[in-house]
Amino acid sequence: MASVRIDNLEPGMVLAADVKDSKGRLLLTKGVTIEAKHLLVFQTWGVTNVSVEGDDDLPADPLPAEISQKEMNQAREALLASYRHTDLKHPAIAELFRLASIRKVRNDRKQQ
Amino acid sequence: MIVSSNNRCTLEGILRKTTTVYSLPLFYERLNDAINDPRSSLPGIGKIISEDQGLTARLLKLANSPLFGYHSKIDSISRALALIGTQQVRDLALALSVMELFRGIPEDLIDLKSFWKHNISCGIVARNIAKLRRETNQERFFVTGMMHDIGILLMAVAEPRVVTDILRRRRREEGLLFQVEKDVLDFDHAAVGGGLLRKWGFPESIAEPVKWHHKPRASARYPLEAAVVHLADVICNGLEVNLASNWQVSPLDPVSWERLDISISQLENIVQQSELQMESTFAVLVEGS
Repeated sequence: MASVRIDNLEPGMVLAADVKDSKGRLLLTKGVTIEAKHLLVFQTWGVTNVSVEGDDDLPADPLPAEISQKEMNQAREALLASYRHTDLKHPAIAELFRLASIRKVRNDRKQQ
Repeated sequence: MIVSSNNRCTLEGILRKTTTVYSLPLFYERLNDAINDPRSSLPGIGKIISEDQGLTARLLKLANSPLFGYHSKIDSISRALALIGTQQVRDLALALSVMELFRGIPEDLIDLKSFWKHNISCGIVARNIAKLRRETNQERFFVTGMMHDIGILLMAVAEPRVVTDILRRRRREEGLLFQVEKDVLDFDHAAVGGGLLRKWGFPESIAEPVKWHHKPRASARYPLEAAVVHLADVICNGLEVNLASNWQVSPLDPVSWERLDISISQLENIVQQSELQMESTFAVLVEGS
């Protein structure tokens, strides 16, 4: 099971969990194969991430093209110490950590 | 009972010490009176602010910066009052004056540049969160963020020795500043900041969220405003726009996060938008003056 952002979702992927909107209303159930029209439904109801069947180890989001996985890992490692009091499992913190890591890669490059 | 030197360091003591040394210019009282007097006119209020030329210049620079994004040029205080609103211009003027008050304090404890960069950035992020939520009077969110850590400066000025110990301990233990403060003193910089802003005549809608920026759900009247500045603070520290190196990101209150009702994907927009505004605003408020 992997969490995938809507812009990376493709028809043919299979939902690994129910999809609900921000108010908790059920939009699609687990096991449904995603079709193009579903993407519009997600967009309309403000769904940003869904869980799909697949390899857990795959990064949920492909990196921006100009950043390598190695650079990203280095940035994550450097940042991790300052996040020790936070709950990295909370989706907002996880997303902040991702954004901060990308920002760090870019800033470190600028300084070189 | 163990009597330590810290026992003499009280919240009230710090507030008393700093309000006598750092008082805002008298004209704020006149300004407040004028704003609260239904008979006073915009030009009349504008005239009071214009008496302080330095403040007027900074205020107009800020109003014309990309952050505020007004389409027409704001070339006078009366125009700023008409476009931005009297209460909000008053709050911005207060915040800019507070910044000015602390210019030139010893920086061996707190690096002022990093301090204002963090606080101004927090104001920008808070404003963008408010904008996304379509809140009214978005400038007050900017002011709240800009002032949220002011208690740290006050404590450093009033009790340099105690604060030196606290900062050392925070670094050594890689702890959270407000928790170390509470351990040592039984109150934190958020309480000091909130108390002082109240004494200086900032509205409650700004002072109370500052007081609770580390514990937003405890705010009785302004839990939403407190949640906004809380998240903005977490975001800025998360992005390493912080007060010092090796600074710890404080935990996000999940209840306040829910209250804000913003989606995960909107975080990226908030961060991108804010990042663009940080440098230019920082240039106007810190480097340009």
